[in-house]
Amino acid sequence: MDTLLLARLQFATTTSIHFLFVVVTLGLVTLLVGMQTAWVLTGNPKWERLTRYWGQLYVINYVLGIATGIVMEFQFGLNWSGLSRYVGNVFGAPLAIETLVAFFLESTFLGMWIFGWHRLRKSVHLALLWGVAITAYASAFWIMVANSWLQNPVGYEVRDGIAHLTDFGALLTNPSLSMALGHVVSAALLVGGMLMAAVSAGHLIRRTPDFEFFRTSLRIGLVTAALAISMVQSFGFAQFDPVGSVQPTKFGGNGPESQALIAEWTTRFGPGDYTPPVLASVGLGFMILIGFTLGCVWLLLPLLFRDWIIRLRFPLWLILFALPLPFVAVILGWIAREVGRQPWVAYGLLPTEQAVSPVGAPLMLASLIGFSLLLGTLAVTNWVLLARHAMRGAADPALGRPPAAPSEPAHPEPALL
Amino acid sequence: MDLAWYALLGLFFAGYLVLAGYDYGVGLLLARGVGPAGRRETLTALGPFFLGNEVWLVAAMGILFGAFPLLEGELLAGCYPAVVGALVGVILVTVGVQLRSRPSDERIRARWDRVVMIGSALAALGWGVVLAAMWQGVPLGADGHVAGVTHLATPFAAAAGLAMVTLVAVHGAAFLALRLSAEAAAEAARTARRLVPVALTTVAVATVVGLLSARVRDTVQRPALAVLLPVLLVAALLAARAALTRRRPGLALVATGAALALPVVLVGAALWPYVLVSTTDPDASLAVADAAASTPTLRLLGWVALPLLPALLGFQAMCWWVFRGRTDGRAPVYW
Ligand code: HDD
Ligand code: HEM
Ligand code: HEM
Repeated sequence: MDTLLLARLQFATTTSIHFLFVVVTLGLVTLLVGMQTAWVLTGNPKWERLTRYWGQLYVINYVLGIATGIVMEFQFGLNWSGLSRYVGNVFGAPLAIETLVAFFLESTFLGMWIFGWHRLRKSVHLALLWGVAITAYASAFWIMVANSWLQNPVGYEVRDGIAHLTDFGALLTNPSLSMALGHVVSAALLVGGMLMAAVSAGHLIRRTPDFEFFRTSLRIGLVTAALAISMVQSFGFAQFDPVGSVQPTKFGGNGPESQALIAEWTTRFGPGDYTPPVLASVGLGFMILIGFTLGCVWLLLPLLFRDWIIRLRFPLWLILFALPLPFVAVILGWIAREVGRQPWVAYGLLPTEQAVSPVGAPLMLASLIGFSLLLGTLAVTNWVLLARHAMRGAADPALGRPPAAPSEPAHPEPALL
Repeated sequence: MDLAWYALLGLFFAGYLVLAGYDYGVGLLLARGVGPAGRRETLTALGPFFLGNEVWLVAAMGILFGAFPLLEGELLAGCYPAVVGALVGVILVTVGVQLRSRPSDERIRARWDRVVMIGSALAALGWGVVLAAMWQGVPLGADGHVAGVTHLATPFAAAAGLAMVTLVAVHGAAFLALRLSAEAAAEAARTARRLVPVALTTVAVATVVGLLSARVRDTVQRPALAVLLPVLLVAALLAARAALTRRRPGLALVATGAALALPVVLVGAALWPYVLVSTTDPDASLAVADAAASTPTLRLLGWVALPLLPALLGFQAMCWWVFRGRTDGRAPVYW
């Protein structure tokens, strides 16, 4: 095992875990904004209950988003010091902006939102959630700017072997960015909608006494998922055009453009294997398959009429079983995008092997195993907690509990966790 | 412009140590045997500040990458085990504090609290060693890379790591003395006063070991500033103790906070114009100006950061203001 392979594996594992959580964050926060806004505007307590229940799941999910995100940020310096050495002047800028514009405020707002129930004015409390959502989208935007630059480096010039920034605007109008961003954001909405629908379906299958509550959630989730899957498909197909023109070697591209590019690289960087692993195309294929399968969500919408979807019951099971699909698809999609970029960290500019830090393989192996185990364990723990809180129902989530009420039962009720 | 960015990097990293420092101190103090209710009350004191504290680290790393790419690569990869240790600690604390109250079984909660304690110790230890690595220089070769990681294993690094652990413990106790309800706060103040001599001892040990180390003596560019550090640390700790005796926990917290910011500020100043001093090849030392990103990048970041900085600090201040005061029965409980 060489250091390079280990570092790549570590990046793949840790980002995948990160993305499984942040994709839920992005999707749920959008729906939460809608629900809390409805509460503040209408004063209907139903919306408050919805906000508290889904907000609690959102906050639990968020924990791992932060924990894994911090690992991601450090990993650039730990394992990919060549990245900062050769392209840090350009690639570092959007990442630095992201931390200042997005994360700093996002966490500050979220802390105040969690503890601000019954303490802040309702409008201020709502504004905080809007702040959390806007900064979450900002972080998705800036991270995609950075990633798109790796897919298609623009706005730089190389002096003494080091890339320097010449045109920041080019990073923002990068053809690799716009459709990918739309695709990622709609994927997040799809995940959020599916999650909401599936959890509600679970409760309705168990004939919950809280029928009205989960009926509303099911409807919101399903409609969101249907709209989002169509957006996912449109943005997905719209990506082929830019990918084909700026990354001709991706996805088994073998046309004249691809040949010419490889010939050019061979003269500039020496002979080598410049075709990405087939894994990228495999990921792409299965993602598209899942994309078409999930398109069937539209078929369920007519069943919302007169609650047929609930009375028939089997559609609820379908929704529940379909929940893993979008999660699998997002990972496949990223594998397609990132593996398809190989053997470059920055396409056509910096080979992956030059970016890896000069640390010994044993240290890298220890780091890979350690972080995979740590984050894997934490992720599973978090999902178990999420599942338990989802199943517990919306009777009295800890989030937003009025301080006057007995804050904790003195002895835990046996049936619920 | 390099200097301004270097100062901003220092501000954010020092801000992180001061703010998250009391998180870690509070985490360590979960071990003080106050029972389940006491531990929950302890974490409620962190409450709304917790998320906003740790993000200073994220911002510091962002600035490090954006404005000092060369430094970020060499510092993090060059101190690999120490950084990983700190990172694991940060993760354990962040996850532990936020999840410990989700299960309602007190045994599971107690287990999570142990995770928080271990994480707090690791984080403090890790950052102490990273700072020590800067004070004692790194084997930076002519190729611009730090060779190996064994350079970390020195008595000075160990002593500095330990000193950091005791400093955050005192800081956490001072924070609790300010935040907890009156009775629990008095107990926390007593703990803080008892911890001050411990911290003084570890600082003294680190100072002696550092003075004896030829590597540290050779690395420091401005010895006067380096000697100032232990003097100021001792002064801050004594001031904190005096303030606690006079029932002024706010002042004590400022003093212990200063004790956490000082090592960052003074390492920057004492090594200037360098940021990483090479122990093997004096010509290979990395100067701040050489570590910085090129001018267009810094200018761009400046345009972003300058208007933003007041908003960032303003919203943090809003959080402190809204949730100021002691935690009482009506404080929102979530962690
Ligand atoms: C819910 C998840 C999901 C679903 C159902 C789909 N995708 Fe996707 N896809 C993603 C989630 C995703 C993603 C994780 O969000 C990716 C990874 C990087 C990115 O920009 O989006 C992605 C990447 C990605 C790429 C790679 C772009 C690149 O290499 O730069 C293409 C071409 C497509 N998608 C196309 C599609 C098509 C045609 C779909 C189906 C009809 C589809 N995706 C369904
Ligand atoms: C969160 C979603 C993401 C996932 C699941 C993901 C997945 C992956 C995978 C599978 C690899 C390994 C590719 C290989 O070596 O064959 C990889 C590598 C990498 N990715 Fe991503 N990626 C994500 C987002 C990003 C973003 C946003 C950036 C940049 C800002 C990025 C930067 C990198 C870098 C630097 C590497 C290592 C070098 C390389 O292998 O090219 N990734 N990622
Ligand atoms: C591979 C490169 C990436 C890095 C270095 C990275 C870095 C980070 C960091 C440091 C955090 C924690 C911020 C905090 O403390 O509040 C975070 C959280 C977050 N990330 Fe990433 N991230 C990456 C990929 C992505 C991608 C591809 C997306 C989505 C498109 C994304 C979206 C988010 C969101 C929305 C959050 C905040 C919510 C949460 O913590 O769950 N990240 N990320």
